[in-house]
Amino acid sequence: MASVNYKIAFVHLTFKIKQTMIAMLGVVFGISMYVFMNSFMSGINDLQVTLAFSNTAHIRIYNDIPPDHTNLIQTVVKGNPVIRVHNGRVIKYTEGIKSPAPIIKWLTGQDEVTGIEPQVNSNVFFRNGGNKVNGKLSGIDVENENKFFKIADFMVSGRWNDLKFQPEGIIMGSILAKSLSINIGNNVNLLTNDGVSKNYKLIGTFQTGETAIDNSKAYVNINSSRQLLGKNQDYVTDIQVNIKNYRQTWPIIGRLAPVIPYKVESWETANEGMLSASKLRDIIAMAVSLTILMVAGFGIFNIMNMTINEKVREIAILKAIGFSGGDVTVIFLFQALVIGFIGGILGLLFGYVVCLLIGLIPFKIEAENHLPFAYHFADFYMAFCFGLLITLFAGYLPARKAARIDPVTIIRG
Amino acid sequence: MENNIVLTASHISKYFQQPDPFQVLKDISFEVHTGEFLCLTGKSGSGKSTLLYVLSTMDTDYRGELSLKGEKLTGRSINQLAAFRNEHIGFVFQFHYLLPEFSVLDNIMLPALKLKKKSRPEIEDKAYQHLQLLGMEDQALKPASRLSGGQQQRVAIARALINDPSIIMGDEPTGNLDSKNTSIVFDIFKQLSADNGQTIITVTHDEDFARRSDRVIELNDGQLL
Repeated sequence: MASVNYKIAFVHLTFKIKQTMIAMLGVVFGISMYVFMNSFMSGINDLQVTLAFSNTAHIRIYNDIPPDHTNLIQTVVKGNPVIRVHNGRVIKYTEGIKSPAPIIKWLTGQDEVTGIEPQVNSNVFFRNGGNKVNGKLSGIDVENENKFFKIADFMVSGRWNDLKFQPEGIIMGSILAKSLSINIGNNVNLLTNDGVSKNYKLIGTFQTGETAIDNSKAYVNINSSRQLLGKNQDYVTDIQVNIKNYRQTWPIIGRLAPVIPYKVESWETANEGMLSASKLRDIIAMAVSLTILMVAGFGIFNIMNMTINEKVREIAILKAIGFSGGDVTVIFLFQALVIGFIGGILGLLFGYVVCLLIGLIPFKIEAENHLPFAYHFADFYMAFCFGLLITLFAGYLPARKAARIDPVTIIRG
Repeated sequence: MENNIVLTASHISKYFQQPDPFQVLKDISFEVHTGEFLCLTGKSGSGKSTLLYVLSTMDTDYRGELSLKGEKLTGRSINQLAAFRNEHIGFVFQFHYLLPEFSVLDNIMLPALKLKKKSRPEIEDKAYQHLQLLGMEDQALKPASRLSGGQQQRVAIARALINDPSIIMGDEPTGNLDSKNTSIVFDIFKQLSADNGQTIITVTHDEDFARRSDRVIELNDGQLL
């Protein structure tokens, strides 16, 4: 029974090949648009993530501002007493991470962890004569920092590795150096929160393209930074951690956060704004491409309806010679399925080619020279599934109609 | 064999609701024997075609009871009836109604491929036998739409015969044919009923055709005469 239905469907499909092609073209176009939109959005999202990782690690461990405990009385006295605390103050007992060694040791033992980078960060004033600029000083391990953030790639003058051998050397963002009017080899004075002041020599500048970093950040050797702040050789304010799969920060945060008294933050939390923008873009891409697929579905619906109106007599004959309503449904649904399947595969290929071609258009943003595209299996898979689903639906309604044709009224005229 | 009853119609009545309520078949009862060549005649509007479509199981909107081959068919589902038609009833219509996209051979084979009682080569072999019987074996691979009217009607007969049905029903099978083709079709029907014991029930306007058959049932205003 089954095979003869497929044979009939096949003959219908090939007999009016032009009509079949037009129906198929709708699916091809819809699916290639879906692939294009989603690959483009994925490309943009991936680029953003890459850019985010140029100054954020996957996980950051740091000593957060302590919670507000200025009104201790309220926690002890029950009821609703009138309390007035004058000049309440938050006291921070420890600055930075007190004993980083066990944390680093624990992290080293984790399978997922691919890199650990202790940093000593502080807010300082950069001074050159009358110029005074507030900024962020990062004390880092020179080689390790480069492994994490590829900072050497962004150097516009000087060499990154020189920092390793020059304890009094400093590398600054290009805008920061310019606003202080200092050039390579010049001295710059740093003033810490505690009032300690020390001179450094500018040995290089970098430009990441992100203004907020280029106009406020500077790097020194981690030990010089400890010395400036008057801390011991163990002192660390941040531990940056990279893991194998940056989308799976939660397992390691879930294990670490409860056992240490410090804040353990994922890059997702740190970049919430960026991620919600990505999500919005995904939704838009999905909405647009689904709309196009629906239009393609209407195309199939129309063509199937036309075919069935043309073949009303033949359907009546099939029923007269013993084909059931179910057989007729299968015959026409199978046609829709073939259109959806072949159109889907061609659509995936065409969409991929369109992406490749549009990806050649020059477009300069940050580290990229062309429009960004990312090809994810999930996007292609979803495009194919949606395409098939919509063609099946578009084919099902006319097929049902065909199944309900009453042979007597048609044959008797 | 002659006395075996293949079809029993008892108290068949049918109403048309459109455009006005109208009783088109009035309490019709009769029996048909195996191997009989039966003609339904009557003026147009007498209900003869309507009766044929009720007998054919395609029209299920009637009162009364219909049995074919001893099986009561009244009240069965549309799909059960389709399966029954496939196996036991062959159709020949006034307008030959072949499937134009298919070759002559495919048209003939379709009901058998649907029935799936035989393998494909067997069915093909049989289709060729029928074509040979009808003098059409050289047209087998042509598209059905490229044949003349008389040839198409012979193909339709071959299609009706492919599953060896007990009953062959015709709705003015010679209505569109010239006298030469009409006599070919008549001879085929005669041969089927006489030699194979297949029952023929056909509606016809052609008095000569009716007179030469085994039995004539004439309808007038929905009643048997």
